[in-house]
Amino acid sequence: MDRLKYIISLLTLLWLSGACVDGYAQRPGNQVKSYDHIILLLDLNRPDDALDSLLTNAGVANPEIRNIKNGNYQALQKAGWNTVLMPGNKLRIDRPLTSVPPGKAFAVIQQNQIPFRPGYPVEVYGVNNFARVTVHELPNGLTRFFVPGRSNAKRVMLSGSFNDWSTLKGLMLKTDSGWIKDVKLEPGAYEYKYIFDGNWAIDDNNNLHRGDGIGNINSVYYRYNFTFKLTGYGNAHRVVVIGSFNNWNPNQLIMEPGHDGWQLNLYLHDGMHLYRFLVDGNPITDPDNRLTSKDVSGNKNSVLNLGATVSFRLSGFENAKHVYVAGDFNNWVPDELLMKRVGNAWIYTRVFAAGNYQYKFIVDGQWMVDPTNPHTARFKGETNSLITVGPNHTFRLKGYASARSVSLSGTFNTWDHYGYTMEHKGDEWVISMWLKPGKQLYKFIVDGNNWIIDPGNKFWEQNAEHTGNSVLWVD
Amino acid sequence: MRKTCLFLLLFLTCFWGNRVLAAARFTLKDINNNRKTINTDSDPYGEFKTIVVPIKRAGNLIIIEAQLDTLEGNFILDTGSPGLTLNETYFRDAAHEEDKESGGINGQSASFTTVIHNFSILDLHYDRITADVTDLSAIENSKGIKILGLLGTRLFAKLAITVDLFNNLLYIHKLDDKGEILPGERPFNQPDMKTSFKLLDDVIFIKGSIQDEDMWLAFDTGAESNLLDYDNFKKLARRMKIISHTTVTGIGGNGYENSYAFFDKMVIGNYVFKRNHIMLTRLDQLGKVYNTTVDAILGYDFFSRGIFTINFVKKELEMYIYTYPDK
Repeated sequence: MDRLKYIISLLTLLWLSGACVDGYAQRPGNQVKSYDHIILLLDLNRPDDALDSLLTNAGVANPEIRNIKNGNYQALQKAGWNTVLMPGNKLRIDRPLTSVPPGKAFAVIQQNQIPFRPGYPVEVYGVNNFARVTVHELPNGLTRFFVPGRSNAKRVMLSGSFNDWSTLKGLMLKTDSGWIKDVKLEPGAYEYKYIFDGNWAIDDNNNLHRGDGIGNINSVYYRYNFTFKLTGYGNAHRVVVIGSFNNWNPNQLIMEPGHDGWQLNLYLHDGMHLYRFLVDGNPITDPDNRLTSKDVSGNKNSVLNLGATVSFRLSGFENAKHVYVAGDFNNWVPDELLMKRVGNAWIYTRVFAAGNYQYKFIVDGQWMVDPTNPHTARFKGETNSLITVGPNHTFRLKGYASARSVSLSGTFNTWDHYGYTMEHKGDEWVISMWLKPGKQLYKFIVDGNNWIIDPGNKFWEQNAEHTGNSVLWVD
Repeated sequence: MRKTCLFLLLFLTCFWGNRVLAAARFTLKDINNNRKTINTDSDPYGEFKTIVVPIKRAGNLIIIEAQLDTLEGNFILDTGSPGLTLNETYFRDAAHEEDKESGGINGQSASFTTVIHNFSILDLHYDRITADVTDLSAIENSKGIKILGLLGTRLFAKLAITVDLFNNLLYIHKLDDKGEILPGERPFNQPDMKTSFKLLDDVIFIKGSIQDEDMWLAFDTGAESNLLDYDNFKKLARRMKIISHTTVTGIGGNGYENSYAFFDKMVIGNYVFKRNHIMLTRLDQLGKVYNTTVDAILGYDFFSRGIFTINFVKKELEMYIYTYPDK
């Protein structure tokens, strides 16, 4: 079996860019007869759902993953598979290609999510660069895209990451000087193109364009959200912002002189950033920002926190000596984020980027969940409190008044069996979450073991267990 | 009971040499050979000679947007599908014209036929189309793009289409009484390759040869790779090279092997295609659908080599081949 070669594998196809190796040519015609086997290499450390899905796709009915993980391969052998347990808790199974069940044929399914979405930039910062400014913000908060001329075009569309690259929704309005389209954009980085009578084109007036990784070149636009300002220094020749967000590059973010100092508008992603100004090559911290910190090299930097302010609050415990908060946002370091006694509560305030965070309080060395937060999640077997910053979707399950608990599980928490616990509010169970854009699958878990699809969402798809998963697309 | 067939070949990326190619995901679903011909669909109409439709790409799939009533969204151009197929996730509540055998949640039917009205691809309109509704979630999940359905050949039965992948354009041509593209509307004049084809259950089959072995080849824009039936590979093995015989381990921890073959000569029409790649698989189940043998499928590896026009009335495939310095 060790010398067995394969022709087709039913397998987990993965993002290959970092995993693939160059193929090699084989002399034509040799070892053909030994090729007609299907071989799968199963990592038994993978979650049950993933293995079940893989084997179901391979045509194994009721694969009984628990049994397989416990060394019972009867279900596989009954289906005609040979089994060999490999080092590293990997199970290699194979069977002749000719025994693929009729009607099922092949189903080679990519199991993993695509690690990035082509055409949807995820950048920490950015500054626009137009030869002629044809995209700008309007007083009403909308962003105007302008195409000069093109008076002979019959239909011009604006398509980009902000409208899901729609070729139908971005119809531009013809004016006496060109074509315009106003779009509501949140601060961020966007890629876009124009479509002139069906033909794709980048923005000729925009010097920023890039490949999307799959063969297309798109224009790039940043909707700004921040301005660096340095008052004074009128005699300086060159002032530059350097920071953790651009790897302290001294040649990138050159500030513009103004009547009372220097400034630079840009898009900067939410989060904590360290920065300094370089005034004619000399580094200084921001004189208007009192928040500073020293890095490992002893350099003093200004600190900028962008995002939403969250106050952690723990009432009572008036006799406690030290109360800390720790979470995934500080890598669970227990004695780092000291809470202050304010009135009858312990308080800690911090700025967060949008996301879901787990945390706990540590009262004189004792870890505890937040007693006032109904939302919990599990990490490495530990139950933690869960907070969501900048939620973009609210899950609701009406009814189930007598349920002891309802939680939420899906692709966003790798189908965790504990899930995110929901709050019972009025006649429904509720939780608001921040979810990555794209497709999400989910289910509710009632009383810990009853997995149900969302009765309030008519979109669902079939799963390996034939019990369905609710489908949600996040913009 | 009316049955449907659907096959898709989807494909992920693998490397050989310095060239990036795609690795595959491949599904053959709901195969059955008892199709009935649907003849109650209305003819398409619209005020145009040629429509230029922008193409989007998802992997090697060709995506175009269409409108169904007020719903706009992505459809895969799939000449391997006979007609219009809708994604069950979003059209589960459509009126059932006819159910199919497959079961779903709580024993309900998960696949059925429906009739839709007011379907448009830009200026091309259809008043009434019969559509299969089936599960396309695997495509969505592998490509990360919302897919409303598949556009099969019957939609273009009285038209011609030209696909220019280099510029990401689909041309939909009206035809004259003789089935010709109207004068001045051809994107290119002198095709490098021209061949006739036959339609079996509305799927395009071309007579060609691989390494001098005559074969019937399905032409499938929904196939992300060329595919060769395993039995044919056995016959041709000494005239082919197995490549990308690579074990791949990815972020999920599972490993697999993927076999791809290289061969030097494929003749379609009057043109000799050199330096061809093809994935090896079994196509016997697919053949049962069409009551014929499917020797191979021409997918992205083939049609990405040039601009191609399919005239569904004259049943002709033309191709303007891109030329590269190394070919």
